[in-house]
Amino acid sequence: MKKLSKLFLTSILAIGLISSAHAHDPKMHKKKAEKADCSKMDHSKMDMKDPVVIAMMKKCMKQAKASAKKVDHSKMDHSKMKSMSNHKQNGDDHKNH
Amino acid sequence: MITRIINFIQHHLVQKLVLSDFYQEGNVVKILKLLTLLIVVGAGVVTTVMYSGIVNVAADEPHSDFVYWLLEETREKSIKVAAQDIEVPDLSDPELLLTGGTDYEHMCSSCHLKPGQSESDMSLGLYPTPPNLSVSDDSHKGHEHGDETQAAQKNFWVIKHGIKASGMPAWGKTHSDQRIWAMVAFIKRLPTLTPEQYQIITADE
Repeated sequence: MKKLSKLFLTSILAIGLISSAHAHDPKMHKKKAEKADCSKMDHSKMDMKDPVVIAMMKKCMKQAKASAKKVDHSKMDHSKMKSMSNHKQNGDDHKNH
Repeated sequence: MITRIINFIQHHLVQKLVLSDFYQEGNVVKILKLLTLLIVVGAGVVTTVMYSGIVNVAADEPHSDFVYWLLEETREKSIKVAAQDIEVPDLSDPELLLTGGTDYEHMCSSCHLKPGQSESDMSLGLYPTPPNLSVSDDSHKGHEHGDETQAAQKNFWVIKHGIKASGMPAWGKTHSDQRIWAMVAFIKRLPTLTPEQYQIITADE
């Protein structure tokens, strides 16, 4: 009886180990979302009526808006901050947050 | 058309045969025996070829020039006829480029390549070789493109229905016509894109 119990427990453990090898998160295979590299846009050579240019502008503007939203200014404690004139002198810029 | 052909055979050839001196019972029996023999021999040859394993289906063993030409011509004509009545919508909307571009990057680029890329594992391994859609029509010959409308019709049909035994899937089973037209719009502009433009348009974010 003891042997049977041991065998049963061992089997359960083995099955668990085997199944865990296949039960990995499918998200592991998901390709990482690629960001548009808008720094390489050459505006001087662009025809603003070209659908390709318009599409690129739309993508890059959307990306810029999304980046701006990520900065949460509501949690900044302005009372403890130096005056804005000091910010300008120090070259401080909100873009650096 | 088929009815006309059958009527022609009935009225002209059969009547002539019946009324001619050739129509004697002995001759007809001989002909029927010969036809039966030909059918049996033909079936035997086909069965032998099928079950002997002598047909080489390896993708890394190209067809002879004649067989390749036969299959290519049959395919191109079939697609041309099947796609000729497809109505092509306006493909100039920039939004189509964004939708189609992202889909192309995820679903098509591994086989049909992207600007600045000349080959991939899939493009080298598949037979027939998938056309490189990132270069102009003149650069990848071997099949007709026709005018812009015909090219769009053909591309839509191929993307939607796929091609048997070629590795080209029927995306229409999982993608709407609207999404496929977006891919057609993108493919139309693809040869004009630089790698930088391609990266921006096809990026997920």
